Amino acid sequence: MSIKIFVPGDSAALALGADALAKNILAEAARRNMAVELVRNGSRGMLWLEPLVEVQTARGRVAFGPVSAEDVGALFDANFQNGGKHALNLGLTEELAYLKKQERLTFARVGITDPLSLEDYLAHDGFQGLRKALTMQPAAIVQQVTDSGLRGRGGAAFPTGIKWKTVLNTAAAQKYIVCNADEGDSGTFADRMLMEGDPFVLIEGMTIAALAVGATQGYIYVRSEYPHSITILNEAIAAARKAGYLGPNILNSGNSFELEVRKGAGAYVCGEETSLLESLEGKRGIVRAKPPLPAIAGLFGKPTVINNVISLASVPIILDRGAAFYKDYGMGRSHGTLPFQLAGNIKQGGLIEKAFGVTLRELMYDFGGGSASGRPIKAVQVGGPLGAYLPESQWDTPLDYEAYTALWAVLGHGGIVVHDDSADLAKLARYAMKFCAIESCGKCTPCRIGATRGVEVMDKIIAGQDTEAQVELLRDLCDTMLNGSMCAMGGMTPYPVLSALNHFPRDFVKKIPV
Amino acid sequence: MNLARHTESIASIISSQQNRPGALLPILHDIQEALGFIPPDSIQQIASALNLSRAEVHGVITFYHHFRTTPPARHTIEICCAEACQSMGAERLVEHAKQRLAGSKHGECEVKPVYCLGLCATSPALMVGEELHARVTPEKFDRLIEQMGIKT
Amino acid sequence: MLEQLNEKDFGTPRRIAEQEVTLEIDGMQVTVAAGTSIMRAAAESGVNVPKLCATDSLEPFGSCRLCLVEIEGRKGYPASCTTQVERGMKVRTQTPKLQALRKGVMELYISDHPLDCLTCAANGNCELQDMAGVTGLREVRYGYEGENHIHSQKDESNPYFTYDPSKCIVCNRCVRACEETQGTYALTISGRGFESRVSPGQDQPFMDSECVSCGACVQACPTATLQEKTVIELGQAEHSVVTTCAY
Repeated sequence: MSIKIFVPGDSAALALGADALAKNILAEAARRNMAVELVRNGSRGMLWLEPLVEVQTARGRVAFGPVSAEDVGALFDANFQNGGKHALNLGLTEELAYLKKQERLTFARVGITDPLSLEDYLAHDGFQGLRKALTMQPAAIVQQVTDSGLRGRGGAAFPTGIKWKTVLNTAAAQKYIVCNADEGDSGTFADRMLMEGDPFVLIEGMTIAALAVGATQGYIYVRSEYPHSITILNEAIAAARKAGYLGPNILNSGNSFELEVRKGAGAYVCGEETSLLESLEGKRGIVRAKPPLPAIAGLFGKPTVINNVISLASVPIILDRGAAFYKDYGMGRSHGTLPFQLAGNIKQGGLIEKAFGVTLRELMYDFGGGSASGRPIKAVQVGGPLGAYLPESQWDTPLDYEAYTALWAVLGHGGIVVHDDSADLAKLARYAMKFCAIESCGKCTPCRIGATRGVEVMDKIIAGQDTEAQVELLRDLCDTMLNGSMCAMGGMTPYPVLSALNHFPRDFVKKIPV
Repeated sequence: MNLARHTESIASIISSQQNRPGALLPILHDIQEALGFIPPDSIQQIASALNLSRAEVHGVITFYHHFRTTPPARHTIEICCAEACQSMGAERLVEHAKQRLAGSKHGECEVKPVYCLGLCATSPALMVGEELHARVTPEKFDRLIEQMGIKT
Repeated sequence: MLEQLNEKDFGTPRRIAEQEVTLEIDGMQVTVAAGTSIMRAAAESGVNVPKLCATDSLEPFGSCRLCLVEIEGRKGYPASCTTQVERGMKVRTQTPKLQALRKGVMELYISDHPLDCLTCAANGNCELQDMAGVTGLREVRYGYEGENHIHSQKDESNPYFTYDPSKCIVCNRCVRACEETQGTYALTISGRGFESRVSPGQDQPFMDSECVSCGACVQACPTATLQEKTVIELGQAEHSVVTTCAY
């Protein structure tokens, strides 16, 4: 019997030498005359352990990590292919607490299957949701999604079913499904991990969306910083089309749906849905005024469902297991699970899919094991570069859309960036303004000029020039940006800036050297 | 590459893409992939094929930071400067990179900031072409530029 | 002078519809055609909402953020140019909060604008100047030492008008006029964010671009950015005459 070894092909693993490692494993096996089946799976999401190698044993999959290319000889010597003893042996993967404590619905297959094997996908409940959808009326599919309580995972948390219903009820000869895979928030990688680890589930989710609203063409807009995601998606689309899951006659149902990947070009603002649509149309990624909503006049002026990767990838399990199953997870009006992404200065960073309601403290300490530097954690930015910085007093609030709104914070796309006590929050507030200045589309005045002035005001504050007056000006500027901007780029930059100022005021007062 | 060959390869890219809806970005990507940049004198050619004005094509190229209209350096290293990488010392890494490459000859290597590579739990991170590197220490950076054959 | 020379600008184009909508603006009942913007509905009933990027010869754009209003039961401060009237809507165009927001926006505009109003060719016929007055801007707390476009090169290549990027407020009215009024598409915005600036062709002088010198952009410009050379030489006109030819 051949030995089955898993070496992730996920970008994070590749960035840590997984390709060289895979090559060494094959070479070493050949040298030892062993037949090895090497699978390039997605990442399990325990990123501090990457590259995480797994071997299939009679007891289950055994994990080794982090493994470098140089470790390979010693691993074979230790009979690792049969789960042998070695310093890097972590035991059964499924028994690792980090994974065991999770509730993996959307990420159920990520890291387990071969991302490009349709056979593997089908063997792990793949296309069950689509098969159910094919037996349902469009309105019934929309109703399932509405009833599940699924809200937009890109950050805005708008109920997905309501969006779909508007598109369904808007008559048009052509409708579109657009997947927003312009995952630009620092501290987030859930979209990337999903596209690289289980691309078929996204394809399935988009196909269900197409059936639900009567769309025949879909686009996945992926940022240019994710070249591997683009490659994998293209291969997966070709495979799905060849097998009849996409194309002119999906599973002989008479329904047609074509899917294409489009590449961004270095513009964070294109994660804003109307900018993304402009970009897809081949234009400058300038924010559109709403109304009209994209659901009524979206891509090329046609009714368009535009959803984030995770929203769309959560649809198959909702259709497969039913709305009630999904809705049962979570708390309050935040139903289901969110793939949290623990990043930055953290010992055990990674992807943690949990039902809403878990707290930051649990994520950072129970899962994350505290800071990577070993120093005390000072501030946590939740929800990307437009999200607030949270001080320790807020770490016990359950992660829930409404609870975070009450804190004047956001969950966004679930990114969590940890900073230890060496962080200077005034510098981070300056960076928030700087990032807005770099990424502003330039359409509206509060964002176009405001962000640049914001950097200058922060420079004065950091230099200790006329601090009181500059802080007042900063607050006024934030008010103009918050209430006057066209979209979240300028409109939410005040979140990191003001939360830093309000929770860490001492960082904004220049320390006078003794 | 000479001008005639530019024009020819651009023409073949345009003809293979121009009938797609919203073809401008895919065309610009393909041209940049083939030539390393988008030659300003090709803008008329692109505009005519898509029934656009030169101004429109120019507006699009200058909006997106990924596109460039001048030839790139022999090597481009994009270092992530976003928050998660900052929390693990990205600023120091950028300083180190600049210092190490200060002596390299003009056009040999360009260091550019990039804002998130999606490697936020394995920071700091950087990208060379499509090749990713994570948990990049100054020592790891030095080994990398040595492997790339960059003389400092 | 302005009143006599320039016709009243309703901010957004007239909409024709059989259906009429009645709403309340600043306590007054207003009835307009369905599809009309709040801005135009207000203007038709004599309420002038501050504006810079809106003009009734062009489709609404929503970029300047001076025309923000409050709508009962609605979150935030929607732009009155891009928001259409709805039956029973209650709109307020003048509140202390709106005044503060507009002043904040004007303060940003003026922090990147030359202060040569008295010697500027648009003096007396400049919407930016008017809005600075309307919003009660008295001070620019950012100072004038920050990043700015004040030293941008002026383009005098066109025989009939000049382009002075230092005075550009990126309202896109010229770009939109070139597209919507003239259909030439000779103008775009180059760059993005703070770097955004009107660009003929590929950042070229007007005469080397696709410009046909129709003057639609000059007509649309609310500042002295695109200015007729005759006005620069002779001053603002003291009366106007209706003619037919655009050239």
